[in-house]
Amino acid sequence: MTGTIVTAEAVGKQVDIHGGSLTILQDVSFTVAAGESLAIVGVSGSGKSTLIGLLAGLDLPSSGRITLAGEELNALDEDGRARLRGQKVGFVFQTFQLLPGLTALENVMLPLELAGHADAAARAGQLMQRVGLEQRLDHYPKQLSGGEQQRVAIARAFATHPAVLFADEPTGNLDARTGGRIIDLLFELNAEQGTTLILVTHDDKLAGRCGRRLHLDAGRVVADEQSQ
Amino acid sequence: MHTPHRFRLAWRLLLRDWRAGELRILFAALVIAVGATSAIGFFTDRLQQAMAGQSAELLGADLILQSPRPVAAAWIAQAESLGLRRDEVLTFPSMVMHGPGMQLAGIKAVGAHYPLRGALRISDTPYGEERNAEGSPPPGEAWVEARLLPLLDMAVGDSLSLGDRELKVTRLIAFEPGNGGNLAALAPRVLISRADVEAAGILGPGSRVTLHYLFAGEADALVRYKAWLTPQLEPSHRLIDVREGRPTVGAALERAERYLGLASLAAVLLAGVAIAMGARRYSERHFDVSAMLRCLGASQGDILALYLPQLLLLGLLGSGLGVVLGAAAQGGLFLLLQELLPARLPPPGPLPALLGLLTGLVVLAGFALPPILRLRQVPALRVLRRELTPLPLRAWLVYGAALGAMTLLMGRYTGSATLTLSVLGGAAAALLLLAVLAWLLLRASRGLRHGAGVAWRYGLNNLWRRPWSGAGQILAFGLTLMAMALIALLRNDLLSTWQSQLPERAPNHFVVNVLPDEVARFEEFLRRQNIESAQLYPLVRGRLSAVNGVPVEQVLAPGDDGGGAVNRELNLTWSDTLQEDNAIVAGRWWTAQDAGQPLISLEAKLAERLGAGLGDTLRFTFGGSELEAQVASLRTVKWDSFRPNFFVIFPPGVLDAQPATWMTSLYAAPSQRAAMAQMARDFPAVTVIDLERLMAQVRRIMEQVTLAVEYVLIFVLLAGFAVLYAALQASLDERLYEGALLRTLGASRYQLRAGHLAEYALLGALAGVFAAAGSELIAWQLYTRVFQLEYAFKWPLWLLLPPIGALLIGAAGYWGTRRVVQRSPLVVLRTL
Repeated sequence: MTGTIVTAEAVGKQVDIHGGSLTILQDVSFTVAAGESLAIVGVSGSGKSTLIGLLAGLDLPSSGRITLAGEELNALDEDGRARLRGQKVGFVFQTFQLLPGLTALENVMLPLELAGHADAAARAGQLMQRVGLEQRLDHYPKQLSGGEQQRVAIARAFATHPAVLFADEPTGNLDARTGGRIIDLLFELNAEQGTTLILVTHDDKLAGRCGRRLHLDAGRVVADEQSQ
Repeated sequence: MHTPHRFRLAWRLLLRDWRAGELRILFAALVIAVGATSAIGFFTDRLQQAMAGQSAELLGADLILQSPRPVAAAWIAQAESLGLRRDEVLTFPSMVMHGPGMQLAGIKAVGAHYPLRGALRISDTPYGEERNAEGSPPPGEAWVEARLLPLLDMAVGDSLSLGDRELKVTRLIAFEPGNGGNLAALAPRVLISRADVEAAGILGPGSRVTLHYLFAGEADALVRYKAWLTPQLEPSHRLIDVREGRPTVGAALERAERYLGLASLAAVLLAGVAIAMGARRYSERHFDVSAMLRCLGASQGDILALYLPQLLLLGLLGSGLGVVLGAAAQGGLFLLLQELLPARLPPPGPLPALLGLLTGLVVLAGFALPPILRLRQVPALRVLRRELTPLPLRAWLVYGAALGAMTLLMGRYTGSATLTLSVLGGAAAALLLLAVLAWLLLRASRGLRHGAGVAWRYGLNNLWRRPWSGAGQILAFGLTLMAMALIALLRNDLLSTWQSQLPERAPNHFVVNVLPDEVARFEEFLRRQNIESAQLYPLVRGRLSAVNGVPVEQVLAPGDDGGGAVNRELNLTWSDTLQEDNAIVAGRWWTAQDAGQPLISLEAKLAERLGAGLGDTLRFTFGGSELEAQVASLRTVKWDSFRPNFFVIFPPGVLDAQPATWMTSLYAAPSQRAAMAQMARDFPAVTVIDLERLMAQVRRIMEQVTLAVEYVLIFVLLAGFAVLYAALQASLDERLYEGALLRTLGASRYQLRAGHLAEYALLGALAGVFAAAGSELIAWQLYTRVFQLEYAFKWPLWLLLPPIGALLIGAAGYWGTRRVVQRSPLVVLRTL
């Protein structure tokens, strides 16, 4: 996969608070090439999570334009962006965000079913095997450890062969050792599927594994550096 | 998402939610709601049928058509084609003789099937032991009222002659269906077979005979027959069914129906509240799931397609189970009350089951749908920012629709727009009041914070911080308490009204045909025998023939017989005092100066039907003479008081020229039977009508209604508990989390528990105040507008409800929040 997968042009985000307006992001512009891995770093409150939400089409910017997988997000309505997410995007979250009512396997099946895949169960089973949880298919999230839950979440994120995978502090709730394994897994699958990886992290080790780091401070991009 | 996938996923989510206990509150509330309403529905249905059946026993049939002439053969054929059983009865006055004695008797000639409902009660000796008769008198025999025997100086076994026919008196009539308290039957009854009428050769042209066509059968066949027949009736025809046949029974039935209808309304309303709370919690607990689904690419339509089938399935299952439960509950009750209920009860019809299902779905749609619809609007961004919630719904629109649906449903249940509107009006007023109360609560708890200990401060803070949750709970608990209070109130008041309507020593005999020159001697007799009686009223028979010169047939609406007052002879009277249970609603009662003036006091409802008001002129016909009189006052009359009552009363001195006999009602204790027998001997012309049997029937009906009412109260309470439970559950997550945090910060279990107690006790007390105000308002509406009872300020409500609320809600809240301190803080903080 070549070319540009994500483009942000002069993106700004303001929210109304108590009658006033608070600027969270200001004049953020960059592009991400397909297959690239990008870490968005910065202190708490620098706007990292807001930016990843905008890039993934979970929210719309107050100003500027974002293009994801060739589609201009501003031009899509809420359901259109949902469709785009279903087709092109995968997510991994700090708090795992598995559906508590579904088993591990069913959680992985969910995006496949939403996209209308007929062989959801088989494909989900393969992914569960790939993340080393083939013994845990029928367990509910609360019966799994934090690391196991995050592996299920990774399997779910890769289930639909997304063009872009967004990860929000994927190791934030895990101890260092478990976090390390999760990072390994994330990059292995990323390499196997040629997915573009965009993640937000505080973890220097994780950021260091990415090909490129975007530094945010008070809502502005202050540095954009490539790894050596 | 493809449809099969959707349904599979919906089904799986439903199952998982069910197993995880997410749906239990919602489902339980629905089952209780539908169970309660359909139990009430089934119960009312059967009770109504049973009560109608008992009234039919008094009537001897389900429907009677009276006519002075034989009716068209087609009318009979129609009844037969509808599968109705029938019989024909002839009544006419005739002289009967025994030896030298002669007496005018009311002859009743019956067919082989008489009575179609109920049974004749007979005895072998005067006032002897009674038993049910098997069948009716065979040809050649006469069954007579005991009071005929002394009049003709005869005994059982003797023969009497009727026209050319000799009939042997074999039985004495103790109770005769179709004759309960009917003043028209003044002469002693002689019951014979219809076959003997022709043989007696006493009926010729011009005979004063009345034909009674008796019908009995299935309820809907009767309804259809009635609907078919009514438009064809002529003025001389009279159609009597259970309701119209006997005013006393009819009024009791009507009140019972209204009352049970009201109780079922309270249950429906409470259930709606419980379901709304359950659905809200369910919806809020699914915000995360919806956000995740949106994040994974589900459209808003997908979210709806996922949750609506779940709701529908839940509704069908819950309502179905509720109907089954309701059916079982009413069956159990009937089993328990076998002694008091008629031996054979009709099975419940399918209508209550359908209504139950419909109620469940409508309540669910009205109260659970809005929060579920909110799920569709959960922003996908919530996966990153958990504090994001969907926009609140346009509550007016959605709850307005729910209210509309409920109104329809209520209307269907009560069959009364007045009742429905007054309950809904009360609910709306209560909501307004609630807003004020919630605001006051905020103020009060802010002030209380400073003086109270830490535990109380924590508890009151809980209320202060969540004003809308607090307001919602006040509404729920207040409604529960209000329903309880209202039902207790109405039940007690209604019963006492009924009791006062039938006091312990209510008149149990009517005495008629006291001759004018015997009045003084008769009064003396009553005094000597220590028998309580009402005033003696003169009785003059006359016909109402015109209103302001217009013939009365043209004044009345087609098919209206003026409540029976117009097409037959009226009992007219005169009096200088107004009966104590009558009330003047227009004009004035006369003074001594009005004596001899052609004035009348007219019963208000008859006046309305006649379109006659104060100053209008009514013409009466007495045999050959006529008399015009001006309406001087309108009166309301309690027809069910068992006292002499009249449509038309004259002042003294107007009717002196007309032949009159005198009448009264009296109470004779069982020990005074001998005195009654003595009366029959001393005053041979006097006719005594025993009301005791009729009243016993009415009492039984009222006892049954009372039990039904108590039973219904239990269901309303159950629905109330569902609300309580749902409300506790609704705030439990937040409480668990806070409790864990507080305990981590060093709060003791005792402090937390005391805080919960304080919070719920205050909530209960406020709900009590709310309930007192609401009940007062609704009761006032109901008393004055629906039941037409006197209303007085119900101060005990204000004294009792707040402490009851504090106690009940405090205890329930204390119990319901025990998990907050039982679970380890670590477990709580990790799972939430």
